[in-house]
Formats: sequence, C-alpha cells, structure tokens
Amino acid sequence: MSAISKRGSLAFLILATSASAVLAQATASPMIPPSWAQGRVEGSTSNLAPHPPGMSALPGAEIPLSKIKLPKGFEIALWAEGMPNAREMVIGPKGTVFASTRFVGNVYAVVEKDGKREVKIIAKGLNKPNGVVIKNGSLYVAELSRIIRYDDIENHLDNPPAPVVVFDKLPKDEAHGWKFMKLGPDGKLYFNIGSPGNIVMPPYTHAQIARVDPEKGILETVARGVRNSVGMDFHPVSKELWFTNNGRDWIDDSLPNDTLHRVSRKDMNFGFPFCHQGDLLDPEFGQGRSCAEFDPPAAKLGPHVAALGMRFYTGKMFPAEYGNNIFIAEHGSWNRSKKSGYNITRVTLDKNTKVKKLEVFAEGWLDGEKFWGRPADVQVMKDGSMLVSDDVAGAIYRISYKK
Amino acid sequence: MTFYRGAIAAALALQFIAVGPAALAADAASGKNKAQTCLACHGEGGRSVNPFVPSLAGQPPLYVYYQLLQFRDERRKNPIMSPVAVGMKDADMRDMAAYFAQEKPAPVSPASNPELVKAGEKIAQVFHCASCHMPDYSGQNHIARLAGQQRDYLALQLRGFKTGSRPDIDGTMASAAQPLSDQDIDSMAGYLSSFE
Repeated sequence: MSAISKRGSLAFLILATSASAVLAQATASPMIPPSWAQGRVEGSTSNLAPHPPGMSALPGAEIPLSKIKLPKGFEIALWAEGMPNAREMVIGPKGTVFASTRFVGNVYAVVEKDGKREVKIIAKGLNKPNGVVIKNGSLYVAELSRIIRYDDIENHLDNPPAPVVVFDKLPKDEAHGWKFMKLGPDGKLYFNIGSPGNIVMPPYTHAQIARVDPEKGILETVARGVRNSVGMDFHPVSKELWFTNNGRDWIDDSLPNDTLHRVSRKDMNFGFPFCHQGDLLDPEFGQGRSCAEFDPPAAKLGPHVAALGMRFYTGKMFPAEYGNNIFIAEHGSWNRSKKSGYNITRVTLDKNTKVKKLEVFAEGWLDGEKFWGRPADVQVMKDGSMLVSDDVAGAIYRISYKK
Repeated sequence: MTFYRGAIAAALALQFIAVGPAALAADAASGKNKAQTCLACHGEGGRSVNPFVPSLAGQPPLYVYYQLLQFRDERRKNPIMSPVAVGMKDADMRDMAAYFAQEKPAPVSPASNPELVKAGEKIAQVFHCASCHMPDYSGQNHIARLAGQQRDYLALQLRGFKTGSRPDIDGTMASAAQPLSDQDIDSMAGYLSSFE
C-alpha cells in the first residue's frame, strides 16, 4: 500500500468516525418513542401501557374456570396446564396438540396417553416462536425473522431433530414482528409482517399478509395495508383467506375498531396507515386521502379488543348452525380506560361471504377491571370440541357441547 | 382532530392504573428466609451498596419474579445470577419477590450533576418512561422500580438494552435505548437515580 493511499484511508477513517459521532448526536435529539407509544397525543399524561406478558403458568387448581360463561349446553374444562405463555395451536395427524409462545421461546407438545395428558417442551430458546403449522408430518415454526422446520415431529417428541431453516430473510423488527402462521390450501405458509410501530408509514415490506412457498423459498405478498394480523384461516368451502387485524392505538377509547377481513382477490389493500376500519381516515396519515381508495373490512369487532387467533368451526359436535362459523380469541384491551374483549367471539356468515352476526360466545376472563387470563387462539379438535389457549394462565381449555 | 382531543381528555379523566395478571399467592416471610444468600451482594434487605449490583428493596414482585425466571432459562444472561436461579422453584421465586417488595427502598444515591439530571428529565419525557415505570419511578407489575437505583447499574442496563446484551421481554426497552447516545444514557442514569 502506498503512503498516499494509506493517508487517504486514515483520513477516511477519521471522517467516518466523526461522521458517526455526528450521527449519534443527530439521532439523539429528535428521539422516537418506543413503538407502543407512537401516535400518542403530545403532553398526554395517560398511564395506559401494554399489560405484563404471561411468563409463568397458573397452577391448574388456581384457574377460576367456573367464571367462564357459555351458551346453554356448552361446557369448559381445563385440558392442559403448566405451559407458560401458550399461544397459537396446531394439531398433528396423530392428535398431538402443538402450542407456540411469544415471550418465553418454548414450543409445547401435548400428548394423550392412557386417558392422561402430558405436556412436553419440544423446543426452547427460540426467538418469538409464535407461529406453528403442520405439513407432511413436519412442524413449521415462525420465529421473529425466520421459519424453521422439525421433520417427522410426532415420532420424535422426546428427541426432536435439529430444526431445518426454511426461510430466514424476514424483517427483524420487534414491534409486531411475531407471527401467526397458517398452512394454505396451496401448500404455502401464510403469515403477517406487521407494521413496525403503532402508527408509522411502513416500508413496502411491512404491514401485509405474506406467504412463503416452503419448497422453493419464494416470498409473496398476499394483501397490503394490514397493520397487524395475529389470526387467520381459510374458509372451508370458498377456500378464501379470512384474517383478524389489530387497529392502531391512541385515538380514543371507541376508535378505531379491530377488524375481520376477507381476501376475495389479488392485490387488495385494507388501508393502513391511511384509513382504519374502512371508514376512518387517520388523523395524521389520512390527510389528503380517502377511505374509498381501500378495501373495507368484512366486520368491525370493537375498539382495542385485540382480536387474535381465529378459526372456522368445521366440527360436528356443536349444533348445526355453528357450521363454518368463525370463532375469534379476543385477547383483551390495554389502550382503553375501560377494558374490553377478553372473550371468544362467534361470527355467523351469510352465503360464506358476508358477516351476518357477531356475538360473544365465551366470556369471564375479565373480572371487573382485572383479568386472570387472556384467550390467544382457538382450535377445533377432531371430535368437534374446541380448544382455547390462554397465554396469561399458561393453559389450554376444552369447550364441548352436550344436547 | 378536536373531536379526538376531547375524547382523549375524557378518557384521561378516568385516570386508571393498569392491572396485571391475577396476583399469584406468595409468602414474604418464607421468602425472607430463602433470600438470605442474596443479601451478600444485594445488600441488607435488598438495599445495595455496590454500584453495579441492583437494589431489590421495593421492586414490584412481578418484576423480580420475571427476572429470576429469565435468569433461570438463561434468557437474561449473567454468570452469577443464572447458577443461583437454576435451583429455584417458581414458588421460591415468588416468595423472595414478595419479601423484597415489602422492604423499604434504598436511600437515594449521591446527588448527580444537576445538568445531567435536567437532560435526563427531558429524555424521559420524550420516551414516556413514566407511563410504564410510573411518575415516581416506583415501577408496577413487571416493570422495574428505578427510583433510588444504583446509577452505574442503571447505565450498564441501558447500554445492555441498546446493544442487545440484555434482552428485554417484548422489545420495548431495546427500542427505547437504541436512539440514546452514551451521554444520553449517563443523563438518564443520573436523573433516575436521583428519585427517592
């Protein structure tokens, strides 16, 4: 290396160092609040903040299931316990129930043997492994920024194989970075890539429903303008994708609603961050825009209810009118002065395309203004009963029906 | 916008404190016995006199419990705390957390440079630190008490959140710490440790 180029690179080094110092100074002054606090009105003294995450499990005997109210003929019972932060559920062909976690990094497997249920931890130390799917005997797990696969899992629950990386190019943002994942009728893995903040102009890679072909590793956009979906399922007859979406925070107690959406064609855009719930322009990003530019939701679910896991009811145990209804686990509000949600909501459709009726199916997790549990997902069992995961109590319940 | 402001003001008038998961049964008296070995480093009653060891006295019980859970699983890595936590049962952790929660908080650290305190106060406003840590920084639920905490420990933790060497549960602290400069962190530590 010549003396000149040496001097040149030294000068560059000095420049780069001082530039990064300037940058550090510059980023220090117009500071961005943490993602949950973005969009708060300036000078607000509200002390609303996200609830503590469920990190431990309530002992089964302390879970007050008698507080849960259901329609006549339905019953709820504790099905599995000791699963801190249990979230999305998927059922294997041999009947193993797998449950994901958002905060503790575990994936659980619940097996039934001789009438008894046993909870196994099949994976530990993963990064927000919130999405689980079963395909061809493999368990696919969506972490924060990648999808991994455990092959032939139901035959190796006590000695799971090392995971195979399926796709590792997803964004690494923590805010709305955890994924709900669902296997499509096309064999692809569908999931959310949420907005990287409460209310921000998202990059084109975010605020969407995406899918990955697990064999070819190709990532595609399914729908845009979706703030954060943490629940989706395919209609059993039409095969169309339906999903829940969580609305922005800090407008007020009554707006905007969380929403239910139907994806009926390609290239749909549901409005985030410009338009919320199909008819409410954002106070900041909505300026100069119109909600008519975007696709409206299929239903408004209520403000701040935190609509998470949703499934179509495909079983035979519940009365016939429940067939192909949607069940939604409402995790419950934090950004609201009076709590709402904390229930399982039933949605009845008209001709498989339009929402006819919304009603609360199960409630009682909220006791006054205190909650003892929060529903995170629902899943239909082979016998037609329905499982409900609770990520605060760290348990799974089973709802059954007797005439 | 005026409409929203009005509605928000109405919501604020209700001034309500978030309530966490149902309180888990814990026995502070038994926690006191179990916590005796902790006091060698964390100080009498959990009032630390070591600049790099945190005071635990007056911490919200859910905070101490959740930190112990994370030390045990090595999600929060520390060469001293993980081996200590590995033998603990959930119930032991809850009992010790209940004991430290009822202890009188440590006295305030020696006064910081008033300019740092002023700069720290401004940063705390931008980041809404008081929303979760409470206006008097006494903490709540799983959120740490910062008032009267060791200044060097606070600075070390903020640097840890910034670089990711201290993982937080939901990314909130990482997103808050990343834009902070070294000087900002010193200001924050000075400001927070000056609270009683």
